Amino acid sequence: MASTTTTNGRPLLEIDNLNVAFNTDRGQIRPVRDVSLAIHEGQTVAVVGESGCGKSVTALSVLRLIPTPPGQYLGGAVRFDGRDLLALPERDMRTVRGREIAMIFQEPMTSLNPVYTIGDQIIEAVTLHQHVSATKARDIAEDALRDVGIADPGRRLGEYPHQMSGGMRQRVMIAMALSCRPRLLIADEPTTALDVTIQAQILELLRKLQRERGMAIMLITHDLGVVAENADVVAVMYASRVVEFATVEDLFDHPQHPYTQGLLRAVPKLNAHAQRLETIPGTVPNPARFPSGCKFHTRCPRTRELAASAPADQVVETSSGDERFRVLRRCHQEEPALREVLPRHGAACHQIAGYDAAPVLVPRSAHRREVTPEAVVDVNPEEVLKDRA
Amino acid sequence: MTQTTTPTVSYATPASQRAPVDGDPILEVRDLRTYFPIRRGVFSRTVGHVKAVDGVSFDVRGGKTLGLVGESGCGKTTVGRTILRLIPATSGAVRYKGEDFFAYRGEELRRLRRQMQIIFQDPVSSLNPRMTVGNIIGEPIEVHGIARGRQRNEMVAGLLSRVGLDPAYAVRYPHEFSGGQRQRVGIARALALSPDFIVCDEPVSALDVSIQSQILNLLDDLQRERNIAYLFIAHNLAVVEHFSDEVAVMYLGRIVERATARELYANPKHPYTMALLSAVPEPNPRPARRRIVLKGEVGSASNPPSGCPFHTRCPLTREKAKESGANDIVEITSGGERFRVLRKCHDELPPLEQKQGEPGHVAACWVTK
Repeated sequence: MASTTTTNGRPLLEIDNLNVAFNTDRGQIRPVRDVSLAIHEGQTVAVVGESGCGKSVTALSVLRLIPTPPGQYLGGAVRFDGRDLLALPERDMRTVRGREIAMIFQEPMTSLNPVYTIGDQIIEAVTLHQHVSATKARDIAEDALRDVGIADPGRRLGEYPHQMSGGMRQRVMIAMALSCRPRLLIADEPTTALDVTIQAQILELLRKLQRERGMAIMLITHDLGVVAENADVVAVMYASRVVEFATVEDLFDHPQHPYTQGLLRAVPKLNAHAQRLETIPGTVPNPARFPSGCKFHTRCPRTRELAASAPADQVVETSSGDERFRVLRRCHQEEPALREVLPRHGAACHQIAGYDAAPVLVPRSAHRREVTPEAVVDVNPEEVLKDRA
Repeated sequence: MTQTTTPTVSYATPASQRAPVDGDPILEVRDLRTYFPIRRGVFSRTVGHVKAVDGVSFDVRGGKTLGLVGESGCGKTTVGRTILRLIPATSGAVRYKGEDFFAYRGEELRRLRRQMQIIFQDPVSSLNPRMTVGNIIGEPIEVHGIARGRQRNEMVAGLLSRVGLDPAYAVRYPHEFSGGQRQRVGIARALALSPDFIVCDEPVSALDVSIQSQILNLLDDLQRERNIAYLFIAHNLAVVEHFSDEVAVMYLGRIVERATARELYANPKHPYTMALLSAVPEPNPRPARRRIVLKGEVGSASNPPSGCPFHTRCPLTREKAKESGANDIVEITSGGERFRVLRKCHDELPPLEQKQGEPGHVAACWVTK
């Protein structure tokens, strides 16, 4: 049974019923709907989903980086250490950004300014947030580079972004984000653009810094492997909502939502040769044209299967793309809420046994993962592969 | 000496290097090199070369898949493009169905090219935004004089429905499609000339997870139906291993290991392959505790390290150096740290040779057996 280590006290970050809209020429779209989430100190909470599911907009909303207009916060709260960030004056918000909550983005090339040296850019971040002398700021910058494993940091400070490899630039971004020792790091697809060997280095680095500083991490990714190895708690998003929430062990051991189940089966795994991959039919829905009811009903294998044997009055015929099929009327008409279908495990699907009787779940858990991968350097790789088998 | 373009290349594969995958090779690549000049100064003097591909040899068998895996900058994409002559080769040879492909010119080249197609990674930039999908797929059919008019449109409709798109979409433009649908259009275009060899260059890397498996399954079905051979280029080892019969691992312009997919996973011989395998994150919340993290500098193809190109990052040579005498080791600086490595790894390039394991399992490493 999964052991839950509860840290005392309230979560560091609480997103409470967040709703975000964009007003466009073609009407309003809702990239984030009723999203709640909590992150404790020292914890990694992963937000997983595909393009357009609302995971990045949720992250940007925490830092209030959504331009308004066209964006609009339709209610809800983002509480950080007791303060509601959505209600904070812009001037106070600036001290939160970078200083208390830092963010790293997917693209290390476009997030660094090509005409300034690495040093200029880190030192700027340091002097903006900390009242220190120029010499002291340089020392902090140098330490920050050393912390992320960059050799010869003094020389590197004088280099420009184009002189560095992708992995090195991502380290610089992390160094910059961490130079002010934030309490929360939002990492939006931090390793997606990198090679696996560099990805392993960066993830190990984040785990190490988290251990040392008790930093909380909101990890946004579509890579289920990265989630499985790094998260304590996972929220799966689909069509702007959280559709499943659980500890990392529960989510991978017994996923409940048909979408999560489909995602897990669709990923090719090492050493599973030549088996046909399972697929989720259809395409990721566009926020401008969400379907009715449960947003997953157009792609859901479970509702189709159940519709085949259900009485005619509970079934409707519908279409998606060029395909016509039958689904359960309830899935077509009513959007399910996140309910606690198993202990501390929430899912939003009408067709899970006991769903109707289950209480509504507020996604919040102080759980810590059972097994953390340990990075090893300078060992015989043959030995490492032996213990894997 | 005979007067062919590449008189020194032998196509006879030594028994020790013969791949353990059945079937006759449809494509034989021998000692392929693609160098890009580095030019400096007012007169654009060539001051050096980026050796993007530096002596690569392999066979692709009819109806089978060879996976080509490696990190960004290892030269895998350049291999695919050089084979199709989208980039000129510096030297080496490519034989397609026994014929010297690099020797073809003009009309003959066009005829042969019909049978060799490519699917690109980016389904957005590889489709002309001003052409309808019907014209994108139909153009090669017309250019190669296969069909025109109504007959052409029927072929386009057939291809669209084969890749899972409504034939009525022929009148739409690429921007009206999602990423996965655009990749289906790219596949339909590649299929238009009934090829028997397709280079798939990172065909699913830009797609959402739930869409990747749809595209991989489609490629798999098409291979069975039409007996198409694939050169499947990707950086995701799990995807390559799933999809390929045989896998070649590239590092800095060279193949460092080649084996059947199953053998490569079960019995990797090159320390770089071992590190790659250990680094792939698995969807398992209780992962094997230890992962190999590589230290040291990734070499560059313009100035590759001496000897074995991997020695600057290799954990195995460092491990072995601890047990070796002072005469057999060298101290190097890599990534700002000093390491001791085996002298042999530092000085001499290891050959790609048969290792213990399946016949045809080759790797280029001085240390492993």
